[in-house]
Amino acid sequence: MRNNYFVRPNRSNKASARAVLVGATAGALAMATAATGLLGGVAAAAPKGSQATSAPTKANETPPKARLDLSETGSTLLYPLFQLWAAAYHKHYPNITITPQGTGSGTGISDASSGTVNIGASDAYLSPTVMAQYPGIENIALAISAQMVNYNVKGVPASVHLKLDGGVLAGIYEGHITNWDAPQIKALNPHVNLPNEKIVALHRSDSSGDTFLFSSYLSDTNPNGWGKSIGYGTSISFPAIPNALAEEGNGGMVTGCAATPGCIAYIGISYLAKTEAAHLGEALLQNRDGFFHLPTPATITAEAAAAYEQTPPDEALSLVDDAAKAGYPIINYEYAIIPPKEPNLVQAEAVKAFLYWAVDPTGGSSPSFLDAVNFQPLPTSIARLSAAQIAKIKG
Amino acid sequence: MTLVTGQHIGAKAHGPLPRLSSAARRLSSAAQRAVLEGTWFRYLTGTAALLPALALVGIVVLLATKAWPAMVVNGIGFLGRSAWQPGSTYGAAVRTDGVLHPTGSDYGALPLIVGTLASSGLAVLFAVPLSVGAALAVVEKLPRRASQLVGMFLELLAGIPSVVFGLWGTLSFGPVLARDVYPVIARHVPDVPVLRFLRGDPGYGEGLLTAGLVLAVMIVPIVAATTRDLLRQVPDLQKQGAVALGMNDWEVARKVSTRWVRAGIIGASVLGLARALGETMAVAMVSGSLLGTMPLNLYGKMGTVASTIVQQLDGAFSDGTGFEVRTLAELALVLAVITLLTNVGARLLVRKVATTALPVGRGI
Amino acid sequence: MKEPSELVEQPLDLYGRPSWGRRLASVAGWGACGLATMLVAAPLVWVVYGVVARAVPHWHWSVLTTTTSAVGGGLANEVVGTLLITAGVVVLAGTVGVCSGIYLSEYSKGRVGTLLRSCSEVLAGIPSIVLGYVGYIALVIGMHWQFSLLAALITLSVLTVPYIAKTTESALRQVPTAYREGAEALGMSQMRTMTRITLKTAVPGVTTGLLVAVAISLGETAPLLYTAGFSDNVPSLALTHSPVAYLTYAVWTFYNQPSATFQQLSYDAALVLVVLVLVLILASRAVVARSQRYSDVSL
Repeated sequence: MRNNYFVRPNRSNKASARAVLVGATAGALAMATAATGLLGGVAAAAPKGSQATSAPTKANETPPKARLDLSETGSTLLYPLFQLWAAAYHKHYPNITITPQGTGSGTGISDASSGTVNIGASDAYLSPTVMAQYPGIENIALAISAQMVNYNVKGVPASVHLKLDGGVLAGIYEGHITNWDAPQIKALNPHVNLPNEKIVALHRSDSSGDTFLFSSYLSDTNPNGWGKSIGYGTSISFPAIPNALAEEGNGGMVTGCAATPGCIAYIGISYLAKTEAAHLGEALLQNRDGFFHLPTPATITAEAAAAYEQTPPDEALSLVDDAAKAGYPIINYEYAIIPPKEPNLVQAEAVKAFLYWAVDPTGGSSPSFLDAVNFQPLPTSIARLSAAQIAKIKG
Repeated sequence: MTLVTGQHIGAKAHGPLPRLSSAARRLSSAAQRAVLEGTWFRYLTGTAALLPALALVGIVVLLATKAWPAMVVNGIGFLGRSAWQPGSTYGAAVRTDGVLHPTGSDYGALPLIVGTLASSGLAVLFAVPLSVGAALAVVEKLPRRASQLVGMFLELLAGIPSVVFGLWGTLSFGPVLARDVYPVIARHVPDVPVLRFLRGDPGYGEGLLTAGLVLAVMIVPIVAATTRDLLRQVPDLQKQGAVALGMNDWEVARKVSTRWVRAGIIGASVLGLARALGETMAVAMVSGSLLGTMPLNLYGKMGTVASTIVQQLDGAFSDGTGFEVRTLAELALVLAVITLLTNVGARLLVRKVATTALPVGRGI
Repeated sequence: MKEPSELVEQPLDLYGRPSWGRRLASVAGWGACGLATMLVAAPLVWVVYGVVARAVPHWHWSVLTTTTSAVGGGLANEVVGTLLITAGVVVLAGTVGVCSGIYLSEYSKGRVGTLLRSCSEVLAGIPSIVLGYVGYIALVIGMHWQFSLLAALITLSVLTVPYIAKTTESALRQVPTAYREGAEALGMSQMRTMTRITLKTAVPGVTTGLLVAVAISLGETAPLLYTAGFSDNVPSLALTHSPVAYLTYAVWTFYNQPSATFQQLSYDAALVLVVLVLVLILASRAVVARSQRYSDVSL
């Protein structure tokens, strides 16, 4: 009959039902074992010392054994140092390749916020809006750097350092001071033979931490002028004056200033060798107490020392124009901006290991690396803050 | 192509096969399998044909949803303002019309739109006469070998990536122009108010005119190849009739051939214009990347919509409110609309006849 | 056989105007056209010469075998990345484009076909940076793929599919209906007719479309900047979470670095790109020549 077509005899029913049950249990057991094995495997890949102490030690500077490809992007000021670090770390641990890119601090912050890079580099700390929008994002201080003001003036040899202050610089970039022999510049440099040459004011076209530092200095020294009308940031609207020029990256600022007679430019100190090779002059800048200084290890450290105690645990602090008699006014912490969550646990461990090595005075912060870029190492108190932040990196 | 139905070819039912018409079910099993295959194939290829349409819808929806808050805040004046001020990104964020943005943010696309249209317009201005002249020479005068050589040059020119053109423009072409050509023009143009735009500091070769010239070099292949193909199709009868009336070959070329393909040349120019409007990398390298202000003179720095998006997008998230990313979406939408209108105009004016080995219509 | 213009008496024209004016105009006109041809050909020579003159004197073959490092190195990872992306685009966009072309030429009827074709045309007109923006926001960030091969492939495929579909459709339309009717008379299914008969005849046209895909993947930068990222390692075949290097990145980024090593890499990358484009052009000409020799379908 039709309705018996698919009904089997009782005996085969029981047997097949039992078979189904056995098969299902076996399958479930197999899947459970596989799942635990997988999860266990991932956890096992992370080194045992993942609950490491905050201070950099040889233990937590060792990255995982897996072959990893980490990416770094951002500040062109930190880029020369990162190139040295990446090459040295790869020699130490050939399984870890760090790809550095010099794209500007704005890109470093941006890519770290959106999680498309492992380490973002920035001369500027994170804004409160970014910290609120991406909870868990960190800016970790790695070193102390400074910014020069360079110029290319006819008849002024590189051995003579022009004295400039915030008011004059703001006047130049706003277009009020147009020639090198303007009375304001002459007043600061009475004994220098300044030519009647047009000033060409170079600024950064990309979103830049150097722009942040320079505009911070101009805002701090001209609170009612530049500070009110233009302010500071990685990307500001420079006044449109006839003699302005935009360049991309610190490298572009160096080549642009070298090729433009009469130029003035703000360039990071890691390019000192290049500016000297291009015979660009370096300015003495006036600090808050009225003294003129060049960025040297002594003046940088003096200026930074005034801020160590005020540095908060998240290390977001401007070091520009602190009160220090012997200090150079434009200095900053160099930051590694870490995304709220690294793509996976293994990469997070590798990033932590690398950063511990970077702030270690016997590792990345040794004079052999920092002297090449004219940076200063972090003092122990700040290094401890950095290590505490490194420990919080999640994967 | 329809399948032959209604034939009882050895009707042997093997159980119900899905989705066959009642007529098809009366076919042999082999024929039924064939019908099924055809149906599945039709669905497969139909899905593939649907994908570009879906992608287009997805792109438009994504851009519109991303850009809408920025459009609300920037307003219609966005297209007429000259500004590019991200605002106080380190200060407090404010809400305007419910949209979060930094205090003092002010965006205006006018210099970028003008830069885009001006550089592309200059490109078409320089490229079209050159292309038409070269196409005439190739079709009417040059021997076959020389024509083939020029054809190969055009294909190579079309295939070279735009970053290589940008590299050439910024390292060789621009400096040569700034050193030898621009000062001559700037000096000899009379100081009349209308022509004041052509006077001034030639700069270092990065600016509006250089960008226009580099774009001209890049769109010459499209315009020249299309014009050449069109000229080849001018009927011999027309040309022979003209010769019978006593015209020499230049007059035939000028009065008959070009008159015959006039609409096609306009269409080819609009195609070239569309290509130039969307060009990003070469312009980013030779335009000087100016934001927020109009170029001072013909040689001065400027920015285009495409070059601004490519240079600002990577740092846009540093504005924590996300407003700059949305403004860039608005710019992308503006660019898409401009190129769409140009492409529609081109399609209405010419039906492309592609006889080159590598279709040179695609710009890179 | 005399030139047509020689059959007519030159000294006076029909209106009695002196002939030297017309001859002058003719000489001037063709001279201008010759000048135009020179001006069209010259930039190519200048560009190629500029690239070759900067790259060749300092060229060494190890550039192709060493990867880029933090302080210099070579272009091995970029070359592999470009070839990988190109291969991926040919596979992905080629499949979708050819299937789409088949549907539009064989199955689609009036209104639907026109609509699909118009959508394809509009998609072809969208600038590549707009697609790069959408790929960045939707795939890299939105889908959390980060800079990855898959994001790059999808974005470039969206760019390329309209061209492949259009070329495939026109190539298929040129296959004589007699072939299809013969196959149907033999009882072949639609799919078999398509793969065994029609497509085989249209191969030259389809190949041309695929070569366009290759040309686009070689030369595009803007969409890749925001979907493929960059890496100093030779790309793995991982589809997501792994950035891919490519040659045009080297040209765009390294040319204005303050390091002579990186600038040289930029010129070397430009040279490799020009050579690859030349190979592509020669390959496409060979395909067309071969097709015209062996088939009765002219393209």
